[in-house]
Amino acid sequence: MNDDRRTDARLAELIRSGDSEALGELYDRYAAAALATAMRVVRARDEAEDVVHDAFVAVWRKIDRFDADRGSLRAWLMTVVRNRAIDRVRARRPNMDLEVADERSLLRTGPNPTWEAALGRTAATDVQAAMASLPQEQRQAVELAYFEGYTYREVAEITGVAPGTANGRLRLALAKLRDALSGSTAAPLGSSESMFSEDTR
Amino acid sequence: MMNCTTVNELAAAYALGAIEADEERRVAEHLSTCGQQHSDVRSMIEAAALVPVSLEPVAPSAALRGRLMATIAQTPQENAVPATPAQAPQPRAPQPIRSAEPRRPWWQLAPLPASLAAVALAAVVGIGSWNISLNQQLGDRDAALRAVASADAIFAAQGTAGAGWVIESGEQAIFMAEDLLDLPADQLYQLWLIDGDNAPVAVGTVSDTDGVALVTLERDLGSATTFAITVESERVDAPTSEPVLVASLGT
Repeated sequence: MNDDRRTDARLAELIRSGDSEALGELYDRYAAAALATAMRVVRARDEAEDVVHDAFVAVWRKIDRFDADRGSLRAWLMTVVRNRAIDRVRARRPNMDLEVADERSLLRTGPNPTWEAALGRTAATDVQAAMASLPQEQRQAVELAYFEGYTYREVAEITGVAPGTANGRLRLALAKLRDALSGSTAAPLGSSESMFSEDTR
Repeated sequence: MMNCTTVNELAAAYALGAIEADEERRVAEHLSTCGQQHSDVRSMIEAAALVPVSLEPVAPSAALRGRLMATIAQTPQENAVPATPAQAPQPRAPQPIRSAEPRRPWWQLAPLPASLAAVALAAVVGIGSWNISLNQQLGDRDAALRAVASADAIFAAQGTAGAGWVIESGEQAIFMAEDLLDLPADQLYQLWLIDGDNAPVAVGTVSDTDGVALVTLERDLGSATTFAITVESERVDAPTSEPVLVASLGT
């Protein structure tokens, strides 16, 4: 476990015990990154700050559900921020249940410690370069999905391709991002955009 | 039920939070029960964590921290951590929690303090072996997962029969427990809600104690202050024994 993650785990423990200063320390560590994500989605600073505020309050309220052995506190926080930001701008998805979304986010926050350490050393410029190196259609698919909150089926509609193709673009983009930044030895993820069975097409 | 192939195919969209809610639920359910490693999913989750790193940090206004801390000072945490670890269940038949003879019926005594173990609850939901005992608005484990995920409140129950949780979700309440102590074949656990000094109201029974038990209570929590379980020989209208599991439903 790297230092950041150990510190985060300790912060989570303190927050769970009701230590508000520990939440303040978590804020000091990640508020700027959280605000960057919120602003990318909602575009307006005041509204983005409201999102960040609400996300940290959610972490405070729900910290008992977080298990540092199973996930990254930073990754969970960032997903909570993203959920709230998208909820603000995606009025056409009125059924988004933030409580459910936060809970499910816990299942998607488990980078392994080695990767987490690499992530901690990764500069924004490196990721920007990796994103810029993606084919335009793959970069667009990732941005529509992550920052605009569209599902892969919606991405497919927007970009005029089959759902399987949109999903394949997301898959290829993430695989390239990962490999570009880690020299990953991850198993090959395929080279075709459309690698889906009929039920996801 | 989604299969491994479909889950792997959806890994990137899942990692990015870019699938429909129903698909996400089914992927999560599959991952929580499948014996395969699903390294594709893990890999995609790791890669998705990079996406927000591509943004240059933006310093918040000076006022935001103060506003947040003021809110926190007035915001209770869900399921605050217990001051002491929960007492381990005894390796024998459940005994009444209050063995001394009370001068008042047990349901008029102050409830035991709630100790909270929602992390353990999440583990039970994710990996427990399921024995869904139902009377039955909840039809399946999916519904249970949804209920836990959307819980408005979770109250820990503990006692000599083991440990469990009362989960309030909207107007529905659920009791969930893993591996309650076994009972003789001619006995069952009966569930009660108590509102202050009023008589307990029967809200369900549990007879099969293997794996995870899940019971939708027959009424919502309303203004009830205490949840309790007694051991009975059959379903009864009023408890005939002391409770073996209690949860305080107050704050």
